[in-house]
Amino acid sequence: MAKNTERRDLFPGAMEIMILQSLRQRPMHGYGLVKHIQQISEDMLDIEEGSLYPALQRLLREGLLESEAGVSTKGRPTRIYRVTDKGLKHLEQELSSFERMFAGIIRVLRTAQA
Amino acid sequence: MFQGFAEESAMNWWTALFRRRRYEDLAISIEEHIALKAEELMETGMSREDAERTARRAFGNRTAITERSREAWQWPFLESLWADVRYALRQMRRNPGFAAVAIGTLALGLGAATALFTVVDHVILRPVAYKNAGRLVQVLKSSKQFPAGVEPEWTDIEQWTKQSRSFQSIAYWTGMGLRNFLVREPTSVEIRGTRVSTNLFATLGVRPELGHDFASSPGSNAGTAIIGDGLWRTVFGANRNIVGSAIRINDKTLTVIGVMPPGFEFPAVASDLPQVWTPIDPAADMAASQKQAEGSAAVYYTALARLRPGVTLAAAQTEMNVVQGRVAAQYKDADARKDQVGTVIAPYASTLVQADVRKALLALFAAALVLWLIAVVNVTNLLLARATSRRREIAMRGALGASRGRVLQQMLVEGLLLSGAASLLGLGLSIASVKLLARQLKDHLPLGAPPLMPDRWILLALLAMTVLTAALATLWPAWMSARAPIEPALRQGGVQAGTGRGQHRLRGVLVSIEVAMSLTLLVSCGLLLRTIYALRQVPLGYRVDHILVARLDIPRYRFTGRDITQTLYQPLLARVQQIKGIQAAGIMSSVPLSHGFRVQLGLVDNGKMLTAALKVVSPDAQRVFGMHMLAGRYFTGDDTPSSDAKVVVNRAFARAYAPDKHDPASLIGMGMWQLKKDRPLHIVGVLDDERSDSIAESSVPEAEVCTCQMTPDIGLYNIASASMELAVRTYLPEKDIVPQLRSIFRQAAPELEQADIATMDQIVADSYGSQRLAARLLEGFGAAALLLCVAGLYGLLAYIVAQRTHELGVRIALGAERGHLLWLVMRQAGAMLVGGVVVGAGLAYASARLVRGFLYGVKAHDGWTLAAAAACLLACGLVAAYLPARRAAGVNPMEALRAE
Repeated sequence: MAKNTERRDLFPGAMEIMILQSLRQRPMHGYGLVKHIQQISEDMLDIEEGSLYPALQRLLREGLLESEAGVSTKGRPTRIYRVTDKGLKHLEQELSSFERMFAGIIRVLRTAQA
Repeated sequence: MFQGFAEESAMNWWTALFRRRRYEDLAISIEEHIALKAEELMETGMSREDAERTARRAFGNRTAITERSREAWQWPFLESLWADVRYALRQMRRNPGFAAVAIGTLALGLGAATALFTVVDHVILRPVAYKNAGRLVQVLKSSKQFPAGVEPEWTDIEQWTKQSRSFQSIAYWTGMGLRNFLVREPTSVEIRGTRVSTNLFATLGVRPELGHDFASSPGSNAGTAIIGDGLWRTVFGANRNIVGSAIRINDKTLTVIGVMPPGFEFPAVASDLPQVWTPIDPAADMAASQKQAEGSAAVYYTALARLRPGVTLAAAQTEMNVVQGRVAAQYKDADARKDQVGTVIAPYASTLVQADVRKALLALFAAALVLWLIAVVNVTNLLLARATSRRREIAMRGALGASRGRVLQQMLVEGLLLSGAASLLGLGLSIASVKLLARQLKDHLPLGAPPLMPDRWILLALLAMTVLTAALATLWPAWMSARAPIEPALRQGGVQAGTGRGQHRLRGVLVSIEVAMSLTLLVSCGLLLRTIYALRQVPLGYRVDHILVARLDIPRYRFTGRDITQTLYQPLLARVQQIKGIQAAGIMSSVPLSHGFRVQLGLVDNGKMLTAALKVVSPDAQRVFGMHMLAGRYFTGDDTPSSDAKVVVNRAFARAYAPDKHDPASLIGMGMWQLKKDRPLHIVGVLDDERSDSIAESSVPEAEVCTCQMTPDIGLYNIASASMELAVRTYLPEKDIVPQLRSIFRQAAPELEQADIATMDQIVADSYGSQRLAARLLEGFGAAALLLCVAGLYGLLAYIVAQRTHELGVRIALGAERGHLLWLVMRQAGAMLVGGVVVGAGLAYASARLVRGFLYGVKAHDGWTLAAAAACLLACGLVAAYLPARRAAGVNPMEALRAE
């Protein structure tokens, strides 16, 4: 990752939350997931495409996602990723803790400004 | 990185089983991703090739990402370990010679250390297997006359139990008499009988496996017995109905009330005989003692107690001293009142083994550890050489991304594998050697030979030692390899001179250390060998050639009411004397050096205290042993039960108690003590000294009385008839005489048929058997150490010569003399040897005190032995150095210069 203040490194766990939240809306395959994140974030996040996959495998390993084999419309073999119940629960916890942290940071910054 | 390749190519069964699906899923997702991206780009008008290339670039480093993704499914540490193990095994297969030498060397060291540790554990660390054995103590009564302590009387024990607060329980026990038999058809079985207090087993923390313990009130146990597991299995066939059945022990019929668990033993002595325990009723014992001795009834037991939780030995000692002071104040005897005011409390385990035996065993263990160290140093040297030859390969790994820690890990794993294999081999060696030496261990160790199969504590200790061995041996080579700079090693044509004189010198230091330690072992070995030689030369005072000795332990109960001397011994002796080929035959209460039954006599004569060892002999004993008379005569046929009672004393007695100390004859006719009322003893002869207790100790005053004058009403009679040894002088071979003796024994009493028969030579040799055992062990260690040393020296020199081939070739080409090159190598060898010998001499000097207890006739710091050992080492080392030296001198300059 470039040491560029315009683009910072994601904090640990950020990628995982985003994946879980994205897949919660609808199960997707790997490429679809990447495009979704890029689109939604309107390119404010600069993510190397391949960096998704280690995170995906980790989530699979921990049982927060499951993968399903399938065949795409074009006849290509595909793997669809879907959030599990355990994944949903983990996501809720992480989201609320993330929001709390974020709210706290905002408060500190606001008072600093004031 | 290597593991990635390995899995790709091997697709080993582990991956195939669990992770193939996952890896496939991953590959498909990634493939799909790139394909879709390419399609999208093509839709914007790019060519297929450009689109695919761009898509791949946008994705990132596919291989790296695939690997990182796969890591989620792996256990990297375990996998790296497993890869290291596989690699090490491959290395060993490629270089079996190296592996064999390394494993063999370590096995020697580990085996020796394990064998000695087994013995030390059995005798010193865990001699008894009772519950919390550390809390068991022996309590003795001490006095000014016997500060080391004597056994208490029942009355003392009774008072201690009432007054002392330090003990959870106090138990007591005593022997059942000299020989005891379980009487049954067809043959009686000899047993080891012990009489115990009703709370003894509870104090030890053990309960009978079958049946129940003795009832706590002593009176209600009359006629009961508890038997040991061994007896139960061998004689009663593990019959569960044994409880309640009757058995005959000696002349009494007893009811079995319990069977002790397997492996239980009390007291712990080196004996194979099965055990039987009967309860003590102190009141009955006191009554019996009253009847026998006119006047004072005194019953003595050995006291064993368990400390109360939280009470220390020192606290118990202090309290008991006070308690005993109060108890002694009640004594009737004024002398005893003043004298016996203290107690001596010692941990029970320590009483089973004397301090000098313990020290000796620890010294031998130290010697084994020295051998182990030599082995470790030797293998370190080997691993260093190998690390140097693998420099390039390790540098390659480093260049490909292996961290230093990874290199260290790999070498450590390799070391552990070698060490592990060596420990298995060493364990086998240890078991085999304990088995080989089992008989000597049984004879000379206080608690007999250790069990053959090691238990889990010993295995645990071995495991710890294995890991330590691996760590020590690989430490230096691994650190060196990990630290080595990568680039110079990879350079093509890397000059061998890069290994550096420094490393050669350090390896030379290692060899010197080996030499030093070997010298210590060789010196100890030499000292012991000289001890044995000295012991063999000691003049014993009697002949030992052509003498057979048979130990006649008679079961007393078979002869109660009869005059054992007249009915058994005399006829037996007469029959033996009639055998053709027997020059002379005699019986004695104990043959010299045989540790037979001995009695210490203490008399007060005219206010003087006389102590002497008492023996009962037959007249011909002197002819058998050829003992020399200094004055007077020995016993003859004229000495009968009705003639004047005679006693023969020895020179030591004369020196101590004769009116004229320089003239033994002055003792003749002197009256001393009496066999019984109206039968005073007069000294009739003085014998020259003989070594009775041990060869190394000088003689003590002795007094001998004749069996021919014994009658049952003499107090000594019981002693005289308890256990006698028959000694015969014969020039016929053993195998002719022994069967005839046995048949005579059988006629006299069936139990005697199995009597031990040995030659006097064997008995003498056994008397310094522990030194012989130690000598044999040290010979083994010394030889092994010498071998390792010499091999190490040879290996290093051969290596150095090989490394310096180029340089030697240059030297010769430039005109150096071949003799000079020979000298170069020999000088290097000499430096290592001399350095090692000098340090070793210092070590040997410092450690000589450890073997002092074994020595006789030679001082621990003996210079000749040191010189001889050093000379031996130097000679062997120089011979070993000669081969590489000759090779160095024989280098062909053309080939050497061409070779690089």
